[in-house]
Amino acid sequence: MVSRPLVAALVVATTLAARPAVAQDGGLEKQTMKFLERGSSIYLTGNVTSVFDARAYEKLENGLISTVVVRLWVYPENQPKPTGFVLLHRQCVFDLWAEVYSCALAGPTGRRTYKVKFRAEALKLLTALDQVPVADIANVDVDQRYVVAAIAELNPVSKETMAEVRRWLSDGAGGGLDRGGSFFGSFVSVFVNLKIPEADRAVRIRSQPFYRPRPKAK
Amino acid sequence: MRPGRGRDTFLALKSLVTASVLVALATALAVSSDVMAQPAPTPDGPPAPPVPLDHVDPSFGPLITIEDIRVVGNRSTAERIILRAVPLAQGERLRAADPRLTAARFKVLALGYFRDVTVALEKGSAHGRVIVVVTVVERGTIVLNRLWYGSSALAPYWLGLDLTERNLLGTGLLVGGGVVHAGHGNVDGARDQWGGELRLGAAGLSGTRWGAHGAFQIQRGSEVYRLAGAPGSSDNADLAAFPYRRLGVRGGPSFDLTTTTGFEADVRIEQIDAAVPSGDRTLDDGRVVALDLGLDAGKSRVVSLAVGFDRDTRNDPVLPHQGNRVQAQLEVGGELLGGSYDFVVALARYERWWPLRPRHALGVRAAGGAVLGDAPRFDRIHVADVNRMLTPRVMGMTVAATAPPDFLGTDNGDALYGELGGNLVAEYAYRWFRRPKSIYGGDLFVAAGVWGLHADGAVRADGASGWDALPVDLVIDAGLRIDTELGIFEFTIANALGRVPRW
Repeated sequence: MVSRPLVAALVVATTLAARPAVAQDGGLEKQTMKFLERGSSIYLTGNVTSVFDARAYEKLENGLISTVVVRLWVYPENQPKPTGFVLLHRQCVFDLWAEVYSCALAGPTGRRTYKVKFRAEALKLLTALDQVPVADIANVDVDQRYVVAAIAELNPVSKETMAEVRRWLSDGAGGGLDRGGSFFGSFVSVFVNLKIPEADRAVRIRSQPFYRPRPKAK
Repeated sequence: MRPGRGRDTFLALKSLVTASVLVALATALAVSSDVMAQPAPTPDGPPAPPVPLDHVDPSFGPLITIEDIRVVGNRSTAERIILRAVPLAQGERLRAADPRLTAARFKVLALGYFRDVTVALEKGSAHGRVIVVVTVVERGTIVLNRLWYGSSALAPYWLGLDLTERNLLGTGLLVGGGVVHAGHGNVDGARDQWGGELRLGAAGLSGTRWGAHGAFQIQRGSEVYRLAGAPGSSDNADLAAFPYRRLGVRGGPSFDLTTTTGFEADVRIEQIDAAVPSGDRTLDDGRVVALDLGLDAGKSRVVSLAVGFDRDTRNDPVLPHQGNRVQAQLEVGGELLGGSYDFVVALARYERWWPLRPRHALGVRAAGGAVLGDAPRFDRIHVADVNRMLTPRVMGMTVAATAPPDFLGTDNGDALYGELGGNLVAEYAYRWFRRPKSIYGGDLFVAAGVWGLHADGAVRADGASGWDALPVDLVIDAGLRIDTELGIFEFTIANALGRVPRW
């Protein structure tokens, strides 16, 4: 009999290995997603697993919190103005002693917490988009084609933190004799030019077009 | 170049540049009005979330006790320097999601000594106890701050560089300095110039927000002035120079009020020994005006107190596309402090960026200053401070006396130093590329604006008045700005103009 963790690990390994080649920082991944109209909302099912690579997956068990932020927009095809936007904020942390993952998922439907045993399960909680309400049907016209654009970031760094680090890095002591020149000039040199990435990884994903069919006349 | 032939070249160039300015401004306005109509939230310009992206609930995660903090990978940096930056302590009890655990990586990275930093937890000796492991990858900490090079009619060459060691012998102390040498052209009284500076500094003293800095400087130079010819003449035959020597120290504390706001204070003591000539200047129209070179003859002393303020919220210090920066400086010098010059220098600068459609941004920079009283010549506002199309001073020394381009016919060629000056520049930037390593990014930009410099003793062409006598003109620039691991490089029109001999 094949154990559950082995199956989960195989699924994860397969998923990570089969990640689309374009799923890199700055690239655009095309993904076939499922859309469902229920009640007053359009629901999306897909995943942002490609935001994890093997190294990031290993780091899930380092005892520190891992955060995935997903932003989803619904656009009429070939139009720039979105009709829906959703922000998902997901975190998992591994308890080194109890050997369980505590996860918190926050989104438009509220915040839920989970405890799971296996790393693959934590990965799924962080990256699965399972029936996420992305748009109100009042804003989605019948027969109009729409697409979903998503940006997923792993351990994003806030602007506040970036500003803090940048300020420390650019702190040059003593200044220079060109006081006037550097003060008025367009440009003040950065004394240590070290770049802090805005996230451990980031992926951009676009769905296939979808549309709401016109209800059949009775 | 003699005036006759140079005039034709200059007029042609002037027409070309004026047209370029108008086109650039029109383009910027047209594009900005177009992109303003675009919707804000797109995948390239997502709306800001209601809370910071790295926000964590501090009550989330298991409760842990820090048994030890270990540093791995440091070869030259003292462990205590790294531990001082980690905002955690042995014996501390906290949740695994505590923001300080996440912040530890950035606090250590912010030291500037490491290429990469990772933080992880390992099991300690008992249930609930953990060891924080900080793994660092060291980087070179010698930084090239500036390269000076170029050629002008006044100085056939100048060459120099400025380096900083950010982490002296792994102690976290900063030591930096620069040297520059400039040859001299065929100007009466000119001599080779050289200068040097040595800087010391330390940030985050004893883990506080306080820092300290100090510097020693020396210069042996010759300062150029116009002795004859028309206002703005750059002919070496119309120029003369006098020798001087400067020797000074300065230092003081700094304090970071918040993560984006800081203050700095300085005490400066400087001795100037200058062979300042006296006499008059005869213009080619026969007028005779008194020379005011802004220095006491022989030995004099500058003693001053200065305070500075800096608030920077830009998203990137090199290639900004949003945010703003405010800087202000006030320096007071006087005989009461033991100096030879009574003066006040007030400088302020404001810069703001607006992201437009994806990849595009519009920025505005305004800078200005006023010098009151009897400030020494070197503390007055130099024309290259406000007009980037001219050769800037090199470590405080003048290496070119080229008159600024006169696009508006306002006859500002004679102003080299002034008491009231500033500029207002609009810049349109296009994000060409961004990369995570080595060459981080590049922006194409076009900038245009106005500059002004008022000098009390400025000489103008006979009969110049009204508009012709307004101390303002245009400044333009365009090119490529690249942010790299080695430093920042600018390939721009103004940068090139400042390094080559001109009309």
